[in-house]
Amino acid sequence: MLVAQILINGILLGGMYILLAQGLNLVFGVMGVVNLAHGAIITVAGLFTFWFTTRTQQNPLLLLPVVFLAMLAIGAVLQRFLLEPLAGAGRKSELLSLMITFGLSYVLVEIGLNVFGSQYVSLPYLQTTWSVGGLTVNEALIAAGVLGATISGLLQIWLHHTGSGKSLIATSQNRIGAITCGIDVSRMRCIAFALGSSLAAAAGVLLIMVMPLAAQTADSLTILAFVVVAMGGLGDYAGAALAALLLGIAQSAVGYYVGGDAESVVPYLLFIVFMILRPQGLGRAAQPQ
Amino acid sequence: MMQTGFTRMLRPLALATLAASVFCTVAARAEGPPIVIGASVSITGALAVDAAYHLHGLQQGLADANAQGGWLGRKIELKYYDDKSDPGTAVRLYTKLITEDNVDLSIGPYSSGITQAVAPLINKYQKLMIEPEASLPDIYVAPNQWNFQGIAPSPGYLEGVLTLAKSHGAKTVAVLALKSAYSLACGEARLAQAKTIGMPVVYQSTYALPQPDFSSLALAIKNARPDVVIVCSYYPDAVGIAQALQRTGFAPQFLAEAVGPAEDEFIKAVGPLANRIMSNTSWWASLKTPGNAAFVTEYAARFHERPDYHAAAGYSAIQVLAAAIKAVKSTDQVKLRDWLLHNKVQTIQGVFASDPNGATTEFGQYLFQIQDGNRKLIWPLAVAEAPAQIPYTGQ
Repeated sequence: MLVAQILINGILLGGMYILLAQGLNLVFGVMGVVNLAHGAIITVAGLFTFWFTTRTQQNPLLLLPVVFLAMLAIGAVLQRFLLEPLAGAGRKSELLSLMITFGLSYVLVEIGLNVFGSQYVSLPYLQTTWSVGGLTVNEALIAAGVLGATISGLLQIWLHHTGSGKSLIATSQNRIGAITCGIDVSRMRCIAFALGSSLAAAAGVLLIMVMPLAAQTADSLTILAFVVVAMGGLGDYAGAALAALLLGIAQSAVGYYVGGDAESVVPYLLFIVFMILRPQGLGRAAQPQ
Repeated sequence: MMQTGFTRMLRPLALATLAASVFCTVAARAEGPPIVIGASVSITGALAVDAAYHLHGLQQGLADANAQGGWLGRKIELKYYDDKSDPGTAVRLYTKLITEDNVDLSIGPYSSGITQAVAPLINKYQKLMIEPEASLPDIYVAPNQWNFQGIAPSPGYLEGVLTLAKSHGAKTVAVLALKSAYSLACGEARLAQAKTIGMPVVYQSTYALPQPDFSSLALAIKNARPDVVIVCSYYPDAVGIAQALQRTGFAPQFLAEAVGPAEDEFIKAVGPLANRIMSNTSWWASLKTPGNAAFVTEYAARFHERPDYHAAAGYSAIQVLAAAIKAVKSTDQVKLRDWLLHNKVQTIQGVFASDPNGATTEFGQYLFQIQDGNRKLIWPLAVAEAPAQIPYTGQ
């Protein structure tokens, strides 16, 4: 029973990590850009959700589609004006895009600090705990996990069963091949960044219900998301999901059997181990062109 | 008679001239260079919530001091920078405050950990520093003669919980401590206390921040089934651990968290889980110390928030400096330090008095409990506002 509870806790934690990482993975997979503003988008969306919900007493989950669509539009604008001009910069574009998203992260964190303050906040929503056969699960974690899985599932369906999704995958696999097939690669990059940003924002809406967030937590979320993406294989969606679950379960077990100190180093320790023993990650995705 | 009448006529004029002369003198003095107090404050970072109260306490103290004419006839200003809750940044900022900004006096930063990093610098430059947010006793040892503790020591944090719990029949304890200077000292003291009073410790662990998930620690606590859970925390982990315990479906008879529950943000963040959580404070609004009632009223009017013990500690630090400067009539660092080492100052949080190394000898600790959204002082029993409500329900 204890092992089952540790597994459940780990899977739910892994669900949170999937939420955190999928947007970053999408952007990297298609654009070859590590979006260093990823954690800042999550955080600002979470803080906005707290701010809005505490003032209007509305259900925070109602904000999910609104925030998702708003960030889709904002992400598209950011990509067009900040990142797309770098597309012709050759190898320098990778470094420049890192610098730009790094700067964007700082801007977003400062906006978060000035608009929402610097305090850690968390929404006391869906706090009921269910007990089933001696195992306990929390509503907020279940809601975050289910919605995260639903979003991931819809993303997978869209990527693999629609024309635009397949075009996106094609672009991530071989940019020149995609151009040859008549795919508008520039449009695909815009879609990828907009979607990646909106997935990050959706993660923020859900995370604020399960963990305290503050503007300054942005960097640690970006790092955590990057660890998951790197362990899964950069740009590999199934690999990232597997890595997230593995990480969640490992942290849950280490936290229980060893203690809190050891739990917090698990992501980075696993990251180093993967980089040495399996640098291509859990999946088999090729590196982006 | 005429002379008397003439004198009568002149008297108001003479008084007016004298008043004008005094006013001009005071005005001229007030226009002199202000006395500048330097500080780094954790405006951002993990400590920002508690540190905001600290800053507001300092600002209230300065507002009151300036309203009373300032010190040595000069206005008082606070020059502060954001240390981002980072000790390294704080060291750089205090170096700048002392060597570039040439501040006259300094107030310590928020938290023992950051103060511990800054303390050697204060000794190096021989600048007096009142440290209202550094409860760790290790800071106040020779040769740190320039650091003065302005808050009750951390080993006393949550001390009343085990005493209270034992009197209610609680038998076993779990102790969690964040890996920071103050909280480790708090955790070690509670472990020692449990041993002394014969309460077995069934689980103990430390943890680090940032920690996205406390479910494993909560599960381990649940399996150990302690009657009392003591968490030597800061604000974000106090929130995370209360939530994680509830998610496991386990509610100990007593849940006590050291730093965090004193802030209104805590109740907003955890909602009903806050009810019956116990916590620590070194000051309380209902204490009958001189000036305390006025501080509570004026602070609330100025900042539109309820002051907590961090705010009171900041305010008290200004009271201590005011008393010392008034006594020695100078900002001379050696004179001020010597005076503080040999004199007591009445503040709103109690009597400021130091041992030869600057450690407080008189500030004490209290215990409060959140009861239906309100905080009630529950220990020591002599000053309790309400009896403790037991057990903690976790919902």
